[in-house]
Amino acid sequence: MSEKQLSTDEAEVYDRQIRLWGIEAQEKLRAANVLLIGVRSLGSEIAKNILLSGINSLTILDDGVVSQDDVTRNFLLHEKVALGSKIAEQVLPRAQALNPLVKIVVDTGSVAAKSGDYFKEFTIVVATKLKFELILKIDGFCREHNVKFIYGEVAGFFGYSVSDFQDHEYFEDRIQLATGAKRGHEGDKKTKRIKGKLTYPPLNKVLVLPNTKQDIGSIKKMSRPNKLFVCMLMLLEFRKRFERDPDLENKSDEIEELRDIATEIIKLYQFTKVNVDNLLDLVFGEVSPVCAILGGIMSQEVIKAASHKEVTINNIFLFDPVTYSGKELTVGA
Amino acid sequence: MSTQSANPREPTSHVNSISKSKILVVGAGGIGCEILKNLCVSGFQDIEVIDLDTIDVSNLNRQFLFRKEHVGKSKAVVARESIISFNSNVNIKAYHDSIFNQEYGVNFFKRFDLVLNALDNRAARNHVNRMCLAADIPLIESGTAGYSGQVELIKKGMTQCYECQPKPQQKSYPGCTIRNTPSEPVHCIVWAKHLFNQLFGEEDPDQDVSPDTEDPEVKKDGAFSVTESGDVKRKSTRQWAQEVDYNPEQLFNKFFKDDINYLLSMENLWKTRKPPVPISWEKALTCESRISNDEESSKSLDMQVLSISKYTQIFASTVNILKKELAGKKFLMWDKDDTPAMDFVTACANIRAFIFSISQKSKFEIKSIAGNIIPAIATANALIAGAAVLYALRVLQNDYEKCPTIYLRQKSIYSKVLLATDKSLQKPNPNCYVCSAKPVVNVFVNVNKMLVKEFETEVLKNTLNMVAPDAILDGKGVVVISSEEGETEINNKKTLCEVGIVDGSILKVDDFLQNYELIINVNQYEAKEKDDPPFKFIANPAELKAKQIDGVKNGVTAAKNDLPNQEMHTDNDDVVICTTDNDDFGASSSKKRKLNPVEDDDDDLIILDEQLE
Repeated sequence: MSEKQLSTDEAEVYDRQIRLWGIEAQEKLRAANVLLIGVRSLGSEIAKNILLSGINSLTILDDGVVSQDDVTRNFLLHEKVALGSKIAEQVLPRAQALNPLVKIVVDTGSVAAKSGDYFKEFTIVVATKLKFELILKIDGFCREHNVKFIYGEVAGFFGYSVSDFQDHEYFEDRIQLATGAKRGHEGDKKTKRIKGKLTYPPLNKVLVLPNTKQDIGSIKKMSRPNKLFVCMLMLLEFRKRFERDPDLENKSDEIEELRDIATEIIKLYQFTKVNVDNLLDLVFGEVSPVCAILGGIMSQEVIKAASHKEVTINNIFLFDPVTYSGKELTVGA
Repeated sequence: MSTQSANPREPTSHVNSISKSKILVVGAGGIGCEILKNLCVSGFQDIEVIDLDTIDVSNLNRQFLFRKEHVGKSKAVVARESIISFNSNVNIKAYHDSIFNQEYGVNFFKRFDLVLNALDNRAARNHVNRMCLAADIPLIESGTAGYSGQVELIKKGMTQCYECQPKPQQKSYPGCTIRNTPSEPVHCIVWAKHLFNQLFGEEDPDQDVSPDTEDPEVKKDGAFSVTESGDVKRKSTRQWAQEVDYNPEQLFNKFFKDDINYLLSMENLWKTRKPPVPISWEKALTCESRISNDEESSKSLDMQVLSISKYTQIFASTVNILKKELAGKKFLMWDKDDTPAMDFVTACANIRAFIFSISQKSKFEIKSIAGNIIPAIATANALIAGAAVLYALRVLQNDYEKCPTIYLRQKSIYSKVLLATDKSLQKPNPNCYVCSAKPVVNVFVNVNKMLVKEFETEVLKNTLNMVAPDAILDGKGVVVISSEEGETEINNKKTLCEVGIVDGSILKVDDFLQNYELIINVNQYEAKEKDDPPFKFIANPAELKAKQIDGVKNGVTAAKNDLPNQEMHTDNDDVVICTTDNDDFGASSSKKRKLNPVEDDDDDLIILDEQLE
């Protein structure tokens, strides 16, 4: 769909957000085609938020099947969904009901089997729970075709996202007081459009793990070592090594594995005074309200990237599982 | 499977406290829908939800438990159905009702382990705050406004309560600015809403729209002598409109030609200002002008500023429609979502703006201001509801200290922090007139003029947020105001002085529903300046001393306006967040005199609603 005028229906449904980001951003949004890879707890949160925002199309790519865990935790499913059926197909009815104005395409194929061309029709790709190699591979495909990419996940109470929006141009409408005007006089306010540009490094320069022959130069210069950053890499390395996530049933052994991996990463980066011990207990399972938080952050980044309105996170977001604060960290630039 | 529904991948240490806890969610709007979903997927099984509101199309971009076919239905009821269709093991009870109702007293609140607020207005937030204090139940208060939001724990004796700190006042405009000398679009919009109420709404003498001869500027140097208007008791605008059978041409000529000519005769006003240009019905019908800098061509009609002739036609057609709607009713309520009412205000505001050479606004923009709309988005609500439920888990483990206020902020090039938390809990204000051990407040009021009924409505209910107050004059033991119907009716039309309330009197006020007792020290005060409020209150004794020195100015003034003032909510996402949607929740005790029935924010701000989201 092109960026033509919004219909009356659309204007009514999207009224409250158009009042926030403006009609121009909404028109860009409704031209956006989004690929969502993975529709589990976090993926469903993202699907909900971006469907509600009024994009043109959402493609849901997930070759997985429904588990008991999904049925109790994924609000796009319900109790009568057959265990073992394709999850991407099962979420469709509820996903579509969230917003009948958006085209939804379901793809139960394997993400690993997709060629580079698959990605080029999208405005932005958003992915969760991928193997490390696949994250870098998809980022490479996206770069080839100027498609924006954001990846994120939730582990226990911890969550993070990392973006590669390449050369991203954005605009902001800042309200300014006309010269000589007194504060608080509505009539004298002017909106000034400010344009900006952010340049994102490719993810193979941002997510650098041990024994990968990746270039670590840009990251070693990190001024302040960040333990949540280490925690993120630790979890990526864990999945890379064991092809699964840390197992709640076997917590104490898993914590030792995690600790060893963290030590290795800290050594690779030559960080000093970084200790992730108090985090290790908090990265098991997937806490639903944290999925809601990460899903909110990542969806807002998708909306900002697709509409070019407002400053995006450059390039990592880290949610603290202890304090529940959330900050941007810029890495690899 | 109900007893084992706690999810294997949820942090297991909480399982017991989660599945056995009884939770009340107040509000099923933007934040409310998200909270209900989070509670359900986290394994909570015993939930009650209350919301007075019904579903509107503009809710659908974020209140994801609702769909188009639900428009017009109860939010609480539909939210419950949606949750149950996901997981029928959840025991969830829905109330399509106002939380202010007497049935939801202290005993109702005591049944819960935790209350989560997802409101969109300050009055309801204040009330739930008091109920939770009275029942000693922890309350998690939340709200969003645009990209921003906030989650805070309120726990009696440990944290600030919702009313410990004075909230920012609504913006107000002096009556003479609205009636005589508008200089900004908002002045014309306020005037247009008042005109609606004068013609079709509940009449309110504070919303006069005709030239104000009491304007101090007018009388300067005695250049203008008050003749017809001022001292002469005129008939009301409504009465006159009825006599001319709401003839659009006659109405138009009075408001946009004759009244403007009258204003021009107050020459003092125009010595330093550009004088307005009256416009007659005939001229207006052919006037193709507009005042706007925007490129209009590509925009939809609602986004455009139209010509004066077009607005004149809209004026005429909406007057006819509204006149018919009024037939058989006492009055109409202005509502931003009622098309003729919104079109009428748009047309009148823009015609008046044109007359005063003020830039005109599109219907879309006027709706924001007149309807006090706080923008609301799904992502911010999801984030805030996620944080609220994380805190719910901590509260149920008695980890209160780990729940300092969380703030959601918009990402900017100046800040890396999107979710910020206070370092520690904010301690209660020892002088809070709500949560301190012996709440005391000083009220400044003209005891010779204020009527007992006015005191009850404006001071006790609208400003001090009581629902059903009883007031006893201390020392004498006389009941001056009673919540029992009829018991003190005889006092209603007496002044405070006539029932024995004078400077230095002490009133013991008790709200049975809120289980709230307040001592009111009465101080005699007379408004001196035109824009002084009719009464004020101060809770903090230290502040009181300072104020007495400067003559009781700028205290914590009453939220209620002073007569000639029009109040508007200003959006402010800093500290105090307000409501989300501005759709009002519940029995908003607000007075029509305000431009907007109070609010802060809903799901959507006045420190925190989401709208009653």
